[in-house]
Amino acid sequence: MNIDVLFNPNSVAVIGASRDPGKIGHVLLRNFIEGGFRGQIYPINPKSDEILGLKCYLSVNNIKGDVDLAVIAIPANFVPDALRECGEKGVKGAIVISGGFSEVGNVELENELKEVCAKYDIACLGPNCMGVINPLTRVDSVFIPTYKMGRPKLGGVSFISQSGAIGGAVLDLMARQGFGMSKFVSYGNGAVLDETDLLRYMADDERTRIIVLYIEGVRRGREFFETLKGVTKRKPVVVLKGGKTAVGAAATKSHTGSLAGNAAVYDAVFKQCKATEARNLDEIFNFSKLFESQPFCNGERVGIITNGGGLAVIASDSVEENGLKIASLSEESRRRINEKVPAYVNVRNPLDLSGDAGADRFEVAVQAMLEDSNVDALLVGVLFQTESIDSRVVSMLVEASNLKKKPLLVVCPGGEYAEVHGRILENCGVPTYTSSASAVRSLRKLVDYSKFMGKK
Amino acid sequence: MEYVDAVALIKKYDIDFAEGSIVRSVDEALKAAEYPVALKIMSDEISHKSDKGCVKLNVKDEDSLRKAYSEIMSNVGSAKVDGVLVQRMAKPGLELIVGGRRDKQFGPVVLFGLGGIFVEVFKDFSLRVCPIDRNDALEMISEMKAYQLLTGARGTKPVDIEAIVDLLQKASKLLYENKQINEMDLNPVIAYEKGYCAVDVRVLP
Repeated sequence: MNIDVLFNPNSVAVIGASRDPGKIGHVLLRNFIEGGFRGQIYPINPKSDEILGLKCYLSVNNIKGDVDLAVIAIPANFVPDALRECGEKGVKGAIVISGGFSEVGNVELENELKEVCAKYDIACLGPNCMGVINPLTRVDSVFIPTYKMGRPKLGGVSFISQSGAIGGAVLDLMARQGFGMSKFVSYGNGAVLDETDLLRYMADDERTRIIVLYIEGVRRGREFFETLKGVTKRKPVVVLKGGKTAVGAAATKSHTGSLAGNAAVYDAVFKQCKATEARNLDEIFNFSKLFESQPFCNGERVGIITNGGGLAVIASDSVEENGLKIASLSEESRRRINEKVPAYVNVRNPLDLSGDAGADRFEVAVQAMLEDSNVDALLVGVLFQTESIDSRVVSMLVEASNLKKKPLLVVCPGGEYAEVHGRILENCGVPTYTSSASAVRSLRKLVDYSKFMGKK
Repeated sequence: MEYVDAVALIKKYDIDFAEGSIVRSVDEALKAAEYPVALKIMSDEISHKSDKGCVKLNVKDEDSLRKAYSEIMSNVGSAKVDGVLVQRMAKPGLELIVGGRRDKQFGPVVLFGLGGIFVEVFKDFSLRVCPIDRNDALEMISEMKAYQLLTGARGTKPVDIEAIVDLLQKASKLLYENKQINEMDLNPVIAYEKGYCAVDVRVLP
């Protein structure tokens, strides 16, 4: 089965393309056209001659050229026949947007869909899914208008989502936060292709550096387990499992049967496979932006630099709470920093540069700690509220981060001004957090994964 | 699964188990006993055996054994009884639970926990999909909240971590190779400075 054709087709047929702007079939076609899809686009609709300036076809069989991918948004009952026609035509991939299959109890119809896809060897996503976004080839079958949901820029994170709704929300957030995405795929009912197939595909995909997975359950547990175990040896997988709590309450008895409930087994699977488990959507972002932009972390010793004593204290607490260590600075770096900072700055770790520190003082400290072999990762807490802090500290941090010597995380809590600068940092690939708790928890995950990759 | 079959199964996997024999009369019990012993009713129809007075621990001599035996029998009521287990009392140590079950999605999983209130109140247990390697077993042990009890805290002696690693791997192998097992419990397993001893076993097909 050719899964790749779903992400990199040369031509696409939109089955159920519509003139009515309120219909999914219209939004789909519009997104392909306006999104700048580079290949041929064929609208299929027996009742129209032309939609959005493109010649409309009765069926895929009426198209002269090859069709690689069909995106199907027609009532469920007609889907198997449409897929049959695709099979006859030699279409290799299909995205079935339409709902009305096993999710509403219509198992028979879904089985028919499966049979047709098996017969013609069609790589099929769905039914009941949002399909694919590939910012590189501009494939976009997510039937949400671009003014309602932004599309992320091109980058290294690929996102596999069982749920369409979560997928949509995450895409929108990714676009807003300037996150770089390689591929997005929502697989809905997973009748033909499921999470295991897609995980395998993303593992082999060279443009995917990090895989983010949202699942509520898996179809083939054992194969999923074996696959996940193999994939994490090649690239990090951040996973969020929905629907965990119902079981928590059941785990009250002390014998194994009730302790080892469903949620606990998933926890075990993720731990054993060295996947990084996120507890919520925020953590998906917190973890993957760190994994994507920063080098592996070779130890647990954290250097903390701030312009506010309180922030240094809170950050140190977070380091302890997450089982990391406060680095003790080398003689050399203490000497280097001492030379350049006023006498009232107490040069130690955590390093409080004092409220009147500007970009230059931060730079001295960051450079010294980047070169200090006693420090494995840097946490830079910037209070943008103070008089001497402005955009210059942002440029300095971006440059330091680009060296990729060791993980560098920025914490900048605050309102509008802090947020704007935080967003610039993010967009320049510096992982930035609004709290030291979330920054350090993310660093903990990077340390764990780095340890595993070092050992393997 | 019958108790004797369960014991035979875990012995096949070389898991250390507190020897015992099943007797059907007080005379047989007297013959089998190496004091101190524990007496326990063997019956599928009685659950929560100790709550119902069907378990007697630390029986030290013949007189106490006679008394304990008749007390157990008087607490049985109308339940069908397969005999009484006479087991040498295990030396005191740290109580652990090792078990497992078959998960619908992922197949056999192995569980490790601290016995008594730790597992009941604090839900302090760890889980892995079988089979597990040495590293998985070490992680199962070290991720316990009460890990310090295993390595020795406040004057208590550390338990034999290597022996537990070995036990977890054996339990995992057993669960993985015997597809007919739906659930297994070794509870309690008593861990010592050197070695361990599984005191009770329960296997559900």
